[in-house]
Order: sequence, then C-alpha cells, then structure tokens
Amino acid sequence: MNRRRSRRISHSQRRGAPSEGQWRQRDKEQWQGEGKAQVRQADEEEQKPRQHEEDTVPKGTCQTMCPAQELRDREAQNRLHHFEMLPGTEKDRRPKGDPSRAVKEYSRPAAGKDSTKPSDLRPPPVLLKTVNYLINDIAAAPSLYPWTEVYTFVFDRLRAVKQDMIIQRMSGLDCVGILERTVRFLIYASYRLCGEPLRLYDPRINDIHLQEYLSWLLDCYMTKTGPHPNQEEFQSLSLLYNLGSARTMQHTMQLPLRLRSTPNIKLALFINQAFLERNPVRLLRLAQKLNFLQTCALHRHLMTCRQDLLLVYSHGYSSRNCRFPLDRLAKLLFLDASLTAQLCRSCGVEVNKDNQVVFSKAAFTEPGQGTLHCKLYHSIASEKQRDLTVKNIVQSCVETNKK
Amino acid sequence: RRVLDVVKEDVYEAIDNREGSFCAELLSFKHPHVANPRLQLASPEDKCQQVLEPPYDEMVAAHLRCTYAVANHDFVEAYKFQTLVAFQSHKEENWALPVMFAVTLDLRIFANNAEQQLQKKGKGQPSEMLEKAAEQLMSCFRVCASDNRAGIEDSKKWGMMFLSNQLFKIYFKINKLHLCKPLIRAIDSSNLKNDYSPAQKVTYKYYVGRKAMFDSDFKLAEEFLSYAFDHCHRSSQKNKRMILIYLLPVKMLLGHMPTHQLLRKYDLMQFSDVTKAVSEGNLLLLNEALSKHETFFIRCGIFLILEKLKIITYRNLFKKVYLLLRTHQLPLEAFLVALRMMKVEDVDIDEVQCILANLIYMGHIKGYISHQHQKLVVSKQNPFPPLSSVS
Repeated sequence: MNRRRSRRISHSQRRGAPSEGQWRQRDKEQWQGEGKAQVRQADEEEQKPRQHEEDTVPKGTCQTMCPAQELRDREAQNRLHHFEMLPGTEKDRRPKGDPSRAVKEYSRPAAGKDSTKPSDLRPPPVLLKTVNYLINDIAAAPSLYPWTEVYTFVFDRLRAVKQDMIIQRMSGLDCVGILERTVRFLIYASYRLCGEPLRLYDPRINDIHLQEYLSWLLDCYMTKTGPHPNQEEFQSLSLLYNLGSARTMQHTMQLPLRLRSTPNIKLALFINQAFLERNPVRLLRLAQKLNFLQTCALHRHLMTCRQDLLLVYSHGYSSRNCRFPLDRLAKLLFLDASLTAQLCRSCGVEVNKDNQVVFSKAAFTEPGQGTLHCKLYHSIASEKQRDLTVKNIVQSCVETNKK
Repeated sequence: RRVLDVVKEDVYEAIDNREGSFCAELLSFKHPHVANPRLQLASPEDKCQQVLEPPYDEMVAAHLRCTYAVANHDFVEAYKFQTLVAFQSHKEENWALPVMFAVTLDLRIFANNAEQQLQKKGKGQPSEMLEKAAEQLMSCFRVCASDNRAGIEDSKKWGMMFLSNQLFKIYFKINKLHLCKPLIRAIDSSNLKNDYSPAQKVTYKYYVGRKAMFDSDFKLAEEFLSYAFDHCHRSSQKNKRMILIYLLPVKMLLGHMPTHQLLRKYDLMQFSDVTKAVSEGNLLLLNEALSKHETFFIRCGIFLILEKLKIITYRNLFKKVYLLLRTHQLPLEAFLVALRMMKVEDVDIDEVQCILANLIYMGHIKGYISHQHQKLVVSKQNPFPPLSSVS
C-alpha cells in the first residue's frame, strides 16, 4: 500500500456526488441489486438449516398415490387412464376413478401454476409406495393391453414421481430406492420395446430420461456415505449402457478400489476395455457372462460390435482366396448361421454357396439406416430371460452372474 | 477504522487513475491485505458507499465481507460474496482486466474450497459450486468476446485466453470436456490468438492438447503438448513435469519412447516400466506396470490412454515373431506361443486372429490372414511400418 498520492480528492469533486449531508439511503435489497439472483441461487442450493429456508422448501402431505383434487378434476374432465378406472365403470360416459389405483400424472410446469401445494405433493414413503405399485401391479402384471401402453403409462407416472422429488428437494437415501427401480424399468423397457414403431415407443426419449435418472442415482451414491447395497449393480449397468464412454470409465476408475474390484464392475470394465481395444471376439464372449438385465443395458451396442467384427475381418482376411467358414463366424457372433448370413448380406459381405464367407475390404459397406433390425438379433438376451418375470427383473437386488 | 479508510482511498485512487494491476492487487486474495483483521468486516457496506461510486462500492464491500468469511474458514459464504465481486468485475473498460483476472481466479479457488466443505458435510450435489463458477466465468468470457470496439489495445478481447484457461481447469475437474469446444472455437477464430502472453499460450495449448488426447486425436495432441513443453519456462519444473505426464503417453502411442534420462530428470519413473514393456512387446510387464502405478495414472487421467498401448505392445511382440521366423508366411500358432510365453493365458486362437485382423485394419501390419492355412501372410516389403507413419 505504498502508492499513495499526496493530493486528496475531496468528495465533492467527484462527479455527481451527493452533497455531504445527503448520503443515499440504500436498503439491503437495493445493495444486493443485480447480484441478488446469484446470491439467492447459492442460498437455495445450500442445505444449511436456516429458519427462513425451512419455510421455503415444500413438504408434501398427500398420503395417496394421486392427490384428491386431481382425481376429482380428472374424473370430471373424463381424463382418467383405463388403468385408473373403477372396474365396471370403464364403459360409462364418465367413468369413475379408483382411488386405490389412480396415480398422479406428470404435468408440465407453467407460469401461474402452483406446483408446491403440500396437499398435492407426496412425501418420500408414499412416492416409494407409488413406484412399487407401478412396477408390481402395472408393469409386471398381465394385461389386456399391449406393453407399449403399459410402458407409456408407467413412464409418465414415474416422471411425476421425479417431479415431486425435485420440488421437495429430496436427496440421498430417500431417492435411491426410487431411482434404482426406475432405472431398472427403463433399461428393461429399452430391450423389450426395441423395434416397436416410433409412434408407440421412442428409444431416444427413453434414453434421455434414463441417462438423467442414472446420473442422479450415481450422484446420490457419491454424496451420501453408504452403505449402498446395490451400488455395484448400478455402476456396472452404467458402464454397460454407456459402452465406450471415456467419461463413464474415468468416473468408474475414480471409485474406491474396493468397489471397483467387485465382480460386476470388473466384468463391465473388461467389456469396455475389449470395446476400446476393438476386440469384438472378446467382447461378445465376455457378454455371455452378463445376467439378463445387464444384457439389456448392453444390447443396443451389440449390433455395432458385430458390424465392427465384420469390418475388421473384412480387412484382416481380405484376399481373393479367402474362405472363412460361416459356422465359425456364427459362433464368434453368437448367432445362428442363417442370421449370420443375413447380417453379412446387410454389410455387403459375400457368403458363397458352400457357406464360406469371402471377406474383402472393398466389399464391406455400412448397412443403411433401418436395414438392420436389432430385434432379430436379440438371442443373447432372450436366452437369459427364460424364467424371469418382469417383477424379478425390476425389483431384484443384486443378481449373481452366470460363471 | 483508519486502516479501512486507507484501503478505500487507495482503491478510489487506483480506479480514478485507471491502475489496473494495482487495483487488482487490492481485490486479490494473493495480496497480504486480506489477512488484516481490521479489514475483515461483516457489514462494510455503509463505509464503502461513503467513498466509492457504484459498482465499486458493492465490489469492495463484497470483497471485505469475503475476507471476513475466509478468516472464518467459511468458503461457501466466501464464494457467495466473491460471486458479487466477479459479477461487477467485467463492467469496466479493459484497463480493469487485471482486476477481472484476479477476481475470477479467486472465484474458482473458492468454488473448489466450498465444494470440499460441502462434500465433507454430505451436502449439495457434486460439482455444483464449480458449475456455477463456470457459468459466471462464461458470462465474463462472452462479454469479452463480444467486445467489438475499434482499437485493439482497448479491447476486452485480451481477456479471452485467461478466462478460457480458467474455464478449462473447471471443465477438466468436473469431467465435462465437451464444454471446452465453444471456447476453443472462439479463440481459434480470433485474430489475437498468437499475441497473448507466452504464459497464457502455454497453459492454453496444454489444455487443448489434453482435450485432443481425450478425443483420440493424437497427432494434434502431440503438436499442442510439445509446444507447451518447449515453451514452458525452464524454471517451472513442476509445470514442465505436468505437461510431460500427458505428452509421454501420446508420444509412446506414436512410437517414440522416452529416454531414461528424461524420466529421471522430471521424476517420472512410473513410466519407465511401461516404456520397457511396450518396446519389448512384453504384455505381462505392461499389465504389471499399469497396475503398480494405477493410482497415479488414474489420478492424472491417463490410465485409459495407457491401456491403448496394449495394441502397440501386441504389434511389437508380433514383429519380433516375424523377425525370428524370417518368413512371410507366419503360422498363427507362433503368435499364440509368443503370447503364452508372455504369460497371457486367456487369449485363444480366435482372439489372436481378431487381434491380428485389427492390426491389419489399423495399418500396423501389411498383409492378410489365411484361415484355411492358419497363417498370417505378410507383405514382402515393410510389413510392419514404423509406428509414426501409422494413425
């Protein structure tokens, strides 16, 4: 502080300065001015228990899956879903709602709409109960309706559960149970509905939401110290669903060694490594060890892996005299011979009349959009599903791997 | 009371005389004034308003409240107030750029500390505070980037590289590298890009080089990281070492192994076993070396890249087989035997074929596999092209 000038500028010489006796009175609000928004944000995000803050975090009091008001409104407006109607009244001009089966629906936040009324919000135990109902009684139950409809209903109602969680600033252990079931459901759906027409099921939308839920779940594991009995399962599902993602791998590598060395996570890491090393033979072999849900998580990448094998082999075996037995190739791809031949055809790979594959680097072509139907190649997963019910799949705790 | 008046008047004069660097010191936490308990006030607003015009009254008041918070080790509060200082810091002309630099630097540091504090209490989402700091820095960046006044000397565009570097640090920390792209694009299209200070350019190239590594663009990564290493000041041993940590794996992937002297000079002996394993084609040693120094490699974020060296190691091993057998028609069994000698037990003939096919596809081997004859047939000319010429 040694650069002091001797000349002092008196206050009155400053441009526009108020005269000595009239200091501007600014209250705290004015002082904070434009910076207020920033400060409030920081305040809100902080969870220090301060008096005025406790009053601003909404706390739900609704003890039913659907708030009473909403049920009345939707009943009056004839906006009940048939899963929510009182049995026997479905054909009526205005069906009646069944309070034990009605579930709060998702509604877009809108200006002027108060989504924080406690009577409309469900507290954590009710939310968990709701999720269990949706899984056990809707998703897993036999239905006269196609599963695409079941999915759409459950997806929407789960979204409303998420909304309640966010509005009430739920965090940590309260969320984990709900998020785990939701993630399992969406992963299963991504496999079961694969190949359905776009108007009935959009894989991209499923993916966007699945990634959000998964990301939130993994954050919960990080911020609240355990025990998290299912963490191994979900870290490995994340690795498989996001095959090849450097970001997911880096995140996993930074987990504690004890966790990283659990069988499911190790296997998922090996599979990712095989992908990065471009060794589809190894990848497909390792994939055999996955359980059903893990295979569902991985399945959308399997087409790419199989194509990759054909691409790499097209180059590695490229010669006029190449004769590679179709059966051998089928074994490597874990497909039957006819599906293998079909896959080859889609990629421009020639299969001669003696069932020998003639690889040629010039011949391989990327199959056009929509020519490969993943659903046809689902055998790796479907074989594992055998005796499992939907309820097993979504409600299970840690499933053991096939060795 | 007197100390406060002195500081305020110094700030006032610095602003009046447009002394950017001096003003920056008075608002920076690197400067010793922050340790003075007579400045650590909980409510200095009135005193500031008496002397200073907006926005400086708010800035200085927030700064003083910040010193109070830091003295109490409450970094969450400190971050809050630093936000206010930073918010005002880009409103001035470009003489105040040093102020913005000092303030945003402290903002990032406080965000870091605040996050650690919150994590210890089990509160808040991970990366929350750093993301908010990044948003603020980004708005400062936009203000600078859109400064379109005529005279280049007066332009706030000079602040762009410093802010980019701060943002890179955050994005790398929170593992959101894709957010670096718009910054890189903005700097790349700016006509100032070669005229920033050497220190800023080294930092910039370091991060862009690391991003290129992440994107598997190794030629580009080598270019940037080499620049950073060569131009990094001789006396910054620590920085040179940091750059080398990333430059080494890239160079190894391109076939250039570091010398022992280099590794010893920069205290990076963790790489020595890796280097040896790769050049010898010794997969066993490579796996051992990677697992021995796993913690270090993971912490630096290079573990996954080093795994890519496996392919190079296979290539080196198979080249040895070729040199030993001295024929252009190599039985596949031979490769399997070589792998077994390296104690690689879990690879069978199918996988050997896949590995070879991949090496051919990548251009590391010139030839083809004959399934009927169970042989790898290689070109008579240069079947194993030098690594630097591939990829």
